[in-house]
Amino acid sequence: MSDAAQPAPIPRRRFAEGVTADDLRGYMAPYVARLGYRFNTDEGFVAELLDSELGILAEAGDVYCPCRLRSGDPKEDAAIVCPCIAVNVVEFAAMRKCWCGLFIRTDVEDGSTLHGVIEKADGPTEVRVAAKDDMRDGEVRHLKLGKRDVALVRAAGNYYVLSNVCRHAFAPLSDGFVEGFELVCPLHGWRFDVRDGSTDHPDSDVRTYPVAVRDGEVFVTI
Amino acid sequence: MARLKVYALSTCPYCKQARAFLTDNGVDFDVVEVDKLTGAERDQAVAEVKALSGGTSFPVLTKDGAVVVGYDRGGIMKLAGLQ
Repeated sequence: MSDAAQPAPIPRRRFAEGVTADDLRGYMAPYVARLGYRFNTDEGFVAELLDSELGILAEAGDVYCPCRLRSGDPKEDAAIVCPCIAVNVVEFAAMRKCWCGLFIRTDVEDGSTLHGVIEKADGPTEVRVAAKDDMRDGEVRHLKLGKRDVALVRAAGNYYVLSNVCRHAFAPLSDGFVEGFELVCPLHGWRFDVRDGSTDHPDSDVRTYPVAVRDGEVFVTI
Repeated sequence: MARLKVYALSTCPYCKQARAFLTDNGVDFDVVEVDKLTGAERDQAVAEVKALSGGTSFPVLTKDGAVVVGYDRGGIMKLAGLQ
């Protein structure tokens, strides 16, 4: 083996050559809309950010956040590929925008008012988790909200959020199924009432989180 | 009293706004554009940013041991002694 330094590997390019800012807008806009976000209303600011992202794409192979430093480890840096809302969902819900300001929450009218706003998610934070019509009764989804794994359940037209970890053998409850107001664990069939997290098994209730529905959007406070 | 120091990325609009805000308010400051550094200089700057802020999100501003992370105008005014 030679001790000579190996040349740096050429990063794998994640978008085709010739991709434009409009192309990025076209693919990002419907995705972030599903998360309750949209492009900042400050058009000049958005243009500057997308221009930065295209420069980063040419250099590093992907559209990394212009305001966060890449480590060079693709696995670690996956957390800062734009849009990075899903991996920072609680922090951004508190700031009402993403870190660099490219995206703002849909309930923010004027994104320019948020420049300079850095609010920490120190206390309970309300996070938008779905549109009201996204799910059907009896449906359950797994959500990763910051460090918490929760199950989002729709039952009898209402939404419920509870811890996703069964306290029996730690199975993910979102892999189970819903019967009435009960979420049934996939591993051994333990039943949890989605309204209060209770179960017939002693000392095994799971935590529930407050849910609110406003303007067709479902929010959970965690 | 130490000068205010701004750690920034050349690609980051909030970093530019933070610098413009300081300039507009007549604050003298030093800038380290971390993504423009290489080798040991870069490693040193990244280590400093991590020690100050606990991460690698920018801008990071510091003076006399106090730290502001992000383009937080209120925090920057306090850091720079503007209020």
